[in-house]
Amino acid sequence: MRILERKASDNQYLHKDFHGALCYAIKYLDETYGQEATSQYLQQVGRENFKPLIDELKQKGLIVLERHFKSIFGLESGEAKFKLENDQLTIEVSKCPAIAHLRSNGQLFTDRYCQTTVNINQAICDSAGYECSCDYIAGPGKCVQKFWKKENAK
Amino acid sequence: MISCTEFIPAYSELFKFLEQKGGKAEVIRFWENLSDAFLNNLRELAAQKGLAGCFEYWSHTLSEEAADFKMMLDEENQVFTIEMRKCPSRGRLLERKDIEPYHVYCEHCDLLYRRVLEPLGFEYNIDLSNCDKAACKLVVRTNVRK
Repeated sequence: MRILERKASDNQYLHKDFHGALCYAIKYLDETYGQEATSQYLQQVGRENFKPLIDELKQKGLIVLERHFKSIFGLESGEAKFKLENDQLTIEVSKCPAIAHLRSNGQLFTDRYCQTTVNINQAICDSAGYECSCDYIAGPGKCVQKFWKKENAK
Repeated sequence: MISCTEFIPAYSELFKFLEQKGGKAEVIRFWENLSDAFLNNLRELAAQKGLAGCFEYWSHTLSEEAADFKMMLDEENQVFTIEMRKCPSRGRLLERKDIEPYHVYCEHCDLLYRRVLEPLGFEYNIDLSNCDKAACKLVVRTNVRK
């Protein structure tokens, strides 16, 4: 009899294959319903799953986003430069940890995966009174993300 | 990207989105496609090593997911069991009071893995009656009747 018994505290919660499942979901939605539906889904994720981040962003500003993304890149061993100045946050990603994981494990990868960043960031910012942009080169996992407050935001 | 630690709520949201599109049938269609396309690792391990392959597959995934579980492989009686005491996915959804999980979230585990293992000749049973406590029990047997 072989037995393996673990408590939650025995391991760190970091199952990177989930990036592959999301990548597959994007491919599936694109092929089944079209790219507009994929954008609708990802924006729904941004609005519904990131409410605590949206609320904090409204209250405390861009420092919250900087902290959020620094935490993710640290946890997942990504590489990015962060610059918060003149009311704008800029993140230059030189190694997207999700794409690096998918590539190194030979998992499904679609260039459309980066729409995750585009659409979820957009939904979070829209909900909090901010704007953003994301210029990406999908294959190598590089992008430049920018965030700033909407001019007419209260 | 979102962190892999943020995936489970997005997964639940996907099921809700698909159900909005075309009812539960659309969700099931996605699960079937995901099982066929994404679970090749389990399929290959189970085909090559039998129940020991199941043990190897879930040892890896449940450890990375920081699950609270007991896994047993009874090689003599050809039975593989997972007693999931706290599912990390369901547990996280239950902890998030700002999120309403997909109403039959746990059913995806039943369909995804059953669809891999039954065609390989395994008998697959899962008890999802304690999903509301993030607990379940999976029993897989080599399907040889004496």
